[in-house]
Amino acid sequence: MSKLFSLIKNELGKIFVLKSTWIMYVILAGIIIASAVITSTSNFVDTDKTYSDDWKTELQEENEALMAEIEEDEDNPFIESTNMGIIEENEYHIENDVRPYGYHAGDFTMDNLFLTSLISLFTIIVGGGIVANEFRWGTIKQLLIRPISRSAVLLSKYIALLIFTLFTVLFLILVSAAVGALFYGLPAVNPEIVVTRQDGMATSALVPEALMMYGFRTLNIIILATFAFMISSIFRSSALAIGLAMFLMFAGSTAAQALARYEWSKFILFANTDLSVYFNVVGPIRDEMTIGFSTGVIIVYVIIFIIAAWMVFTKRDVA
Amino acid sequence: MSEAAMKIIDLHKNIGRSHIIKNLNFDIRSGEVFGFIGPNGAGKTTTIRMMVGLLSMTKGDVVIQGHSIKSEYTKAISEVGAIVENPEMYPFMTGLQNLKHFARMSEGVTNERIKEVIDLVGLEKAIKTKVNKYSLGMRQRLGIAQALLHSPSVLILDEPTNGLDPTGIREIRRYIRRLAVEDNVSVIVSSHLLSEIELMCDRIGIIQNGELIATKDLHEKAETNEYIVNLDVYPVEESIDILRKMNGIEILDTSRGIQIKTYKDNIPFLVTTLVRNDIEIYGVNVLQSTLEDQFIEMIGENIIE
Ligand SMILES: Nc1ncnc2c1ncn2[C@@H]1O[C@H](COP(=O)(O)OP(=O)(O)O)[C@@H](O)[C@H]1O
Ligand SMILES: [Mg+2]
Repeated sequence: MSKLFSLIKNELGKIFVLKSTWIMYVILAGIIIASAVITSTSNFVDTDKTYSDDWKTELQEENEALMAEIEEDEDNPFIESTNMGIIEENEYHIENDVRPYGYHAGDFTMDNLFLTSLISLFTIIVGGGIVANEFRWGTIKQLLIRPISRSAVLLSKYIALLIFTLFTVLFLILVSAAVGALFYGLPAVNPEIVVTRQDGMATSALVPEALMMYGFRTLNIIILATFAFMISSIFRSSALAIGLAMFLMFAGSTAAQALARYEWSKFILFANTDLSVYFNVVGPIRDEMTIGFSTGVIIVYVIIFIIAAWMVFTKRDVA
Repeated sequence: MSEAAMKIIDLHKNIGRSHIIKNLNFDIRSGEVFGFIGPNGAGKTTTIRMMVGLLSMTKGDVVIQGHSIKSEYTKAISEVGAIVENPEMYPFMTGLQNLKHFARMSEGVTNERIKEVIDLVGLEKAIKTKVNKYSLGMRQRLGIAQALLHSPSVLILDEPTNGLDPTGIREIRRYIRRLAVEDNVSVIVSSHLLSEIELMCDRIGIIQNGELIATKDLHEKAETNEYIVNLDVYPVEESIDILRKMNGIEILDTSRGIQIKTYKDNIPFLVTTLVRNDIEIYGVNVLQSTLEDQFIEMIGENIIE
């Protein structure tokens, strides 16, 4: 057990000693700060709005203004749908006694959920190289002539990849929250928020909601990373692993969507990788799919990926 | 001294349709330096890869200190330190980071031990430099340090003299002799150039086209172990008289220094005798061994490419 711990330490050391890894974090932090600056300066989101204790009256006034806007510009369906959305949400706040806050660190952190795609990219690069690079550097021979089974070497690499993924997601969340607090303040640590589920609006709390959404995205990243890891272990080519995984990342769910009319499409991995669809208005590609079904499909695929990587890596000649 | 540290038994390797290794059978004795000699493409690296479990065997086995590399991999490999083909290390890490990385993969390698192997190969000054700044000689030395970390009883070095200058080769010879003599380590060194490793070996095995065609004990006082040595001494006439009186020395030529033919084991005695007789010695150079002639004859081609 302590042996496995040392191996994982080695693998993490090799990831974090590379300059390219540090550049990833610099890029990520840079984009977080840039998006804070853009959010504050653009008028897409009114980041200066706040609500007093008399927020119910304020929301009512806001709704009246929004209604007036719709009437003024009757032919504009865009304004109508956006404003109606806001009005509905405001009404939910009033009816269910959920206090609103102006734009704050929590909202900013939730908005930065889109940056998990960048982490997917980083994780694919790391996962696609973690085995293949040892072959490229020629160090694989040194790695495999130790009193350690090949299975343990491979396992330590996979665990290191998972730790890298979790760490990077945590970095995104924490830096977003910190930058958000700096720019917009933090009115309450865990405020109640209004979310839209498949069957309408509901009340939730910020922290569990954020953790759930980031959790689903992390699962998504791990699936792609596992795929890149498998290709890397089987073909010993990081370029192939990174290329294929990136292709699937961009095209996978679109392809699943396009094939949705066939019943078998629900068994496609990418029809199941985004569990958040069960918690927002999007929904699964086929109505009969459930979160339990998708979880099962994911587990089966991930196990197949790991077994394929393991069989090839432990059996093959290293020449 | 005579029990086998490693046994190579009926070893075969086929890749596709080609028989790369054909029925190798030999032992490496405890504490000996075994030279594994053969021209490029003879199958040295392939054999070494099988010895350390990187390649599967088509048939046969390798037994290291009584443990089969096939069925008791972990026990067998614990006894082995190796460089296979090139001494490749992580280029973006320092020598020390590389050693620590590999130290963590074996049981009980202390920081003192890491320092010890660094001292042994003389890399103290460069150990905090990144490996991508190392010369080939430095990488060979780091490779040897890495192979020695866990104090293995069998050391396997694939072409350790490749790309080294004569000083580098002499240095490697020094560590290897020291390991074999002082620590009773069995060392296997491969090379395609007999002359580069002959002086460090106790025994050699010659491989060609995947077959072991001969093994030779270099300590045996046989015809095969004679050297041609050039002596640069003063005064010449007096030296010739002394040499004439000694056994086992044949004087070949006296036009440029004194060229003699003698056994390897005679050389130290010969030098001592000359010194005792107040002869000034400016140089003792081994020009050629008859072994090399035989080797070239045996494999039927010039191995110096
Ligand atoms: N993976 C492989 N596939 C096919 N032939 C190989 C492979 N590896 C080595 N060989 C062949 O095996 C022979 C022995 O190679 P090698 O063991 O590297 O020789 P050496 O180390 O003595 O120079 C060569 O003829 C080489 O072409
Ligand atoms: Mg070779």
